[in-house]
Amino acid sequence: MSSLKAEDFIERSPLYPLQQGARLATLAHSSIVARYGEKEEHALLQRCALIDLSNLPRVGFRGSDSAAYLQARGYCLPEQPNQAVRQQDGCLVARLSQSEYLLLGSLHDLGARIAVEESRWEQDDQRNYLLPRQDSHAWLQLTGNRSAEVMAKLCGVDLRARAFASGAVAQTSAARINVIVINAGSQALPALQILCDRASVQYFWGALLDAMDEFGGGPVGIDALLD
Amino acid sequence: MNSPTRLPAPMGLLIDRERPLRFSFEGQSYQGFEGDSVASALLGNGRWLLSRSFKYHRPRGPLSMAGQDANSLVQLPEEPNVPADLHPASEGLKVAGQNFSGSLDSDRDAYLGKFSRFMPVGFYYRAFYKPKGMWKIWEPLIRKKAGLGVLDLDFKPQYYDKAYLFVDLAVIGAGPAGLRAALDAANSGAKVLLIEQQPVLGGSLNYARFDIAGTRATSLRAELLAAVEGHPNIQVLLRATCNAWFTDNYLPVIQHKRMYKVRATRCLVAAGSFDQPVVFRNNDLPGVMLTSAAQRLMKFYAVKPGQRAVVLTGNDDGYLAALDLQEQGVTVAALVDMRTTPVDSELATELKRRQIPLHLGSTVYEALHEAGMRHVSGVDIRPITGQGKVATQGLQLACDLLCMSAGYMPVYQLLCQAGGKLAYEETRAEFAISNLPTHLDIAGSVNGRHLLDNVLADAARGAAEALAALGLDVPTPAAFAAERPVNFPWPIFPHPKGKDFVDFDEDLQVRDIVNATRSGYRDIQLVKRFSTVGMGPSQGRHSALPTARLVAHATGRSIGETGVTTARPPFEAEKLAHVAGRAFDPYRQTPMHRRHLEAGAKMMPAGLWQRPAFYGKAEDRDRCMQEEARHVREKVGLIDVSTLGGLDVRGPDAAELLERLYTFGFAKLAVGRTRYALMTNEHGVVIDDGVCARLGERHFYVSATTSGVDRLYQQMLKWNAQWRLDVDITNVTAALAAVNLAGPLSRQVLAKVCEGIDLSAEAFPYLGVRLGKVAGIAARVLRVGFVGELGYEIHVPARYAERLWDVLMEAGAALGIRPFGVETQRLLRLEKGHVIISQDTDGMTHPAEIDMQWAIGRKKPFFVGKRSIEILEAQPLKRKLVGFTLPPTSAQPLEGHLVLDGADISGNVTSCEYSRTVGQIIGLAYAATHQATPGMHIPIRVEGGEIVQATVVQLPFHDPENQRQEL
Amino acid sequence: MKILTCPLNGPRNISEFTYGGEFKRMPDPARCSDLEWADYVFNSDNAAGVVVEWWLHNASSYWFLAERHTVSDQVLRTFDPKEVFDRRIDFAAPATIPEIAG
Repeated sequence: MSSLKAEDFIERSPLYPLQQGARLATLAHSSIVARYGEKEEHALLQRCALIDLSNLPRVGFRGSDSAAYLQARGYCLPEQPNQAVRQQDGCLVARLSQSEYLLLGSLHDLGARIAVEESRWEQDDQRNYLLPRQDSHAWLQLTGNRSAEVMAKLCGVDLRARAFASGAVAQTSAARINVIVINAGSQALPALQILCDRASVQYFWGALLDAMDEFGGGPVGIDALLD
Repeated sequence: MNSPTRLPAPMGLLIDRERPLRFSFEGQSYQGFEGDSVASALLGNGRWLLSRSFKYHRPRGPLSMAGQDANSLVQLPEEPNVPADLHPASEGLKVAGQNFSGSLDSDRDAYLGKFSRFMPVGFYYRAFYKPKGMWKIWEPLIRKKAGLGVLDLDFKPQYYDKAYLFVDLAVIGAGPAGLRAALDAANSGAKVLLIEQQPVLGGSLNYARFDIAGTRATSLRAELLAAVEGHPNIQVLLRATCNAWFTDNYLPVIQHKRMYKVRATRCLVAAGSFDQPVVFRNNDLPGVMLTSAAQRLMKFYAVKPGQRAVVLTGNDDGYLAALDLQEQGVTVAALVDMRTTPVDSELATELKRRQIPLHLGSTVYEALHEAGMRHVSGVDIRPITGQGKVATQGLQLACDLLCMSAGYMPVYQLLCQAGGKLAYEETRAEFAISNLPTHLDIAGSVNGRHLLDNVLADAARGAAEALAALGLDVPTPAAFAAERPVNFPWPIFPHPKGKDFVDFDEDLQVRDIVNATRSGYRDIQLVKRFSTVGMGPSQGRHSALPTARLVAHATGRSIGETGVTTARPPFEAEKLAHVAGRAFDPYRQTPMHRRHLEAGAKMMPAGLWQRPAFYGKAEDRDRCMQEEARHVREKVGLIDVSTLGGLDVRGPDAAELLERLYTFGFAKLAVGRTRYALMTNEHGVVIDDGVCARLGERHFYVSATTSGVDRLYQQMLKWNAQWRLDVDITNVTAALAAVNLAGPLSRQVLAKVCEGIDLSAEAFPYLGVRLGKVAGIAARVLRVGFVGELGYEIHVPARYAERLWDVLMEAGAALGIRPFGVETQRLLRLEKGHVIISQDTDGMTHPAEIDMQWAIGRKKPFFVGKRSIEILEAQPLKRKLVGFTLPPTSAQPLEGHLVLDGADISGNVTSCEYSRTVGQIIGLAYAATHQATPGMHIPIRVEGGEIVQATVVQLPFHDPENQRQEL
Repeated sequence: MKILTCPLNGPRNISEFTYGGEFKRMPDPARCSDLEWADYVFNSDNAAGVVVEWWLHNASSYWFLAERHTVSDQVLRTFDPKEVFDRRIDFAAPATIPEIAG
């Protein structure tokens, strides 16, 4: 048998080649950037910051039985497609169509609740099909007052708060790739959750940072969010 | 140091006299001030000759001072064709003239003007296109003579980008109408974007005069600017041009190095109107300019436009401009009014009071000049005796400035792009715009409102309509006063000696336009194409109106019937850099990308994906491929196939869906088995293939081609939107990474790291699929044979992919495992005669042509393409895909090379490579059915026209019994 | 750029969508004539007037139908295909051997 085992392996973000020199934190079986350097990252968060949450658990469910299944699991679901609802414990449930839901883990429990949803699920005769969103999509968070202006350089949907309120979801195109954008911001911290094709994330990360440059934006680790 | 010709404040709105700067023009150093344009700074130094005309190389100076003409195009080191009257002068800027031979001041080609009678319109087409091919010889010579500037081919790319701007109301133009409308709308709560081409707000309020006292513009400007600047609901873009109107108010607005893609719920164009020149002999001399240009020179830049001026006008505005000129110390030698009386009689009284001679019912018939035509030196004034006719005797006056204004043409370009129609109002001698889409409106002089109070009232109306549409509070509208005509109906005075220019850009005179109609080109669009009128940089801003009048007159129709030529985007010249913006070229990388780079892979694009072609240097391609191929045949290799499309099909109707979409039968496929899946479209044409693995009663995992999967997934969803089967289709291409572990030793390698799967040939045979763990990772393992060896495709969640790669490489190290690339895989599959859909098939290929009838389920009631295939199969086959070989020493055909059948083309090569395993050049090609029997020879025309005789052979080339993959 | 209103995602730039062709009813492939089948596969009406078309919203992989006037390019209505396809469609086995063009 090989000496290398999956159990020994800490999952890395698809962006790890770009994260050299950053201080990493551990989330269950994966790693995440805690901070990129000595710079004050908290202030950047308010202005214009990009956070790689690709290793934070997330999962999707689709099918005519999915709503009932998720409600039975204790989730509060959005009433309409393209809306998202923050759960009591901090995780986020977005509804993408009549019968499709996307569950995004919370940093508060390091995504533990959502990770369980994926690991415990087994296909039975119900019309409730798991969608492997953690593997299909990368997850970035764009924070700060300039988020809508940054996105306006990449995306044709008006993402300013007056047109795209907290809890709004847009499935659209940004920098010529498909993305799901969720306004998960608060008064204290404007924030957009952005999910994109995992295979394209290195491209998209670069495009976002480039768009953020004129606002003095940059990458930030999760320490700034947890402070 | 104050330049002697600069006027005292309040003239010079844009310049900062405390900040002088130096720049050069044609190698000579000049002083200007911060805020100067290149043209204003040069004129401030008495330098008027800025360019040479396109065809006759006549000296030219500024016409509009607003960037609306080609007369002041200059060359910057990195950029040709820059409007000198818009481009800011800056410290150290090096500017040169364009379009001359020798020097700008004494152009060797200026003699061309003397030949103008031998260069009539249509000259190029007639003279240089025959005999055939001659244009190729003439073109470079003509282009050099008529060239406009020089491109710097060593330029450094600069950063240009684009950004969306979302607004309730976009107001284009910040003159009195734009300011008033923006303010009204913003005060009622609309988010307004105010777009202005000039560096300051105010439009005509900045330079024009609206009353005898000369106070109205100043006070109104101050009032409006104070309210607009800093208004929380108004965003102002200065030095910004809205360069087009696209459907649903999508407006490209160019500012600096950015193109804003403005999305406006409503759009109000308040872009004003273009001051129009008068057509007479030598109306293009430096020193002959639009009246508004002289006013701009004084008010914006404090440049005194001359010492002694003649003002030629067709409306009352010329009188007011004459007052401006006199107040700034310019002697007004004459005001020449083409009309018989001004509308406002007080104007005549005021001129008299100021001792400005007034010539009513007269025109300038010819502008006079000294030798070299460097500047206007006087005018020949004649009484007008009829339409375009003047008396034989007149009065000659000396002057160094001739201001002309025949009236106004609305800035119609964007509006016509939106479907607006131009109608000519004979009584007012003016074009009016109508037929605009509901969410696009116009206000101010573009809408035929010229009295300042009417302009403001029209703006308020426009704002009110926008607010109503936006569902916001609407203020009460103002009333309109009666308008007065501003256009002189026939400001065209042909001269027997010509040089009466209608189009300055293209050096077109009255007779050029008239002659075009006499050559049979009666339609205005044809006149344009034949004569090139309106094709130059100013795009008809000054030539459209006189051309419409001339063509109408010459063809005996009304001006309204004649109309103007189509206005297309862009409004003004735009750089390709603006159009391109910051390029977005998405690419996709597999989760094992890093490992390929570390292993020295030569990467290649496969659609958006980046894939290893082979491992080694580009120049070692053939050697690397052959070695990698031999390694797979003899030992074991590993290839990243994550880019392969993957679809999970789940639910009670999963099998039924596949039955309908693919040609083969899947209802009876056992769990744990895979089957080849071929897809045709409704035409019976092969469009994709893959492997369909049954993981459960209600769960299939289907692979698809890398390039086809996205379209395929969409088509599956479209079909099921109609069929309503109880099934879920999920595209898991990016979610599942995959490798193919291939070669006779692959089982030994996998055995070291695989749990929960019996790998013996009996327990896990060829075409089986198993779920288990590889390297501790939940995996789908398929026994497939694309490369024709014992092999396992291992599919795992993307997050574990790099680990899978590492573990397999480590487990295989002792057995000599090595990675192989896509090019190697293509060679290996070619040796097995496996087709690649879209490489070996085209838009016409049906299954019988590629010997795929075995992959069609005949007993099914339906699959997409079934009916078409039945019809096609009943007809004789026209071509077939065949395998061919050539000796290793032969010239190697390339993909696309033709297969011949006598004098006809019967097909083409689709794949071809040298195979060390086979010892020959092998390939696939379409050939006529009568050429397709093994043993026959097909002629293939290769590079350089040589014809090689390839031998048709039975497929596959290697391992005909398929024993190796079934080990 | 034109704005198209997606029944699921609302008004979006038309660049977010893929045109899916004219909406056509498939004739019963087991019973129609070769001519009817060829007409269905190869011919489009290209009518000057209101037509029904398939459109796909790319980012959400959502297919819908649009009524569009081909002269004015005005989209009158967009709607979910369930309005038209309200039940499962099944294909029967051919009743007789279909006519084959020779």
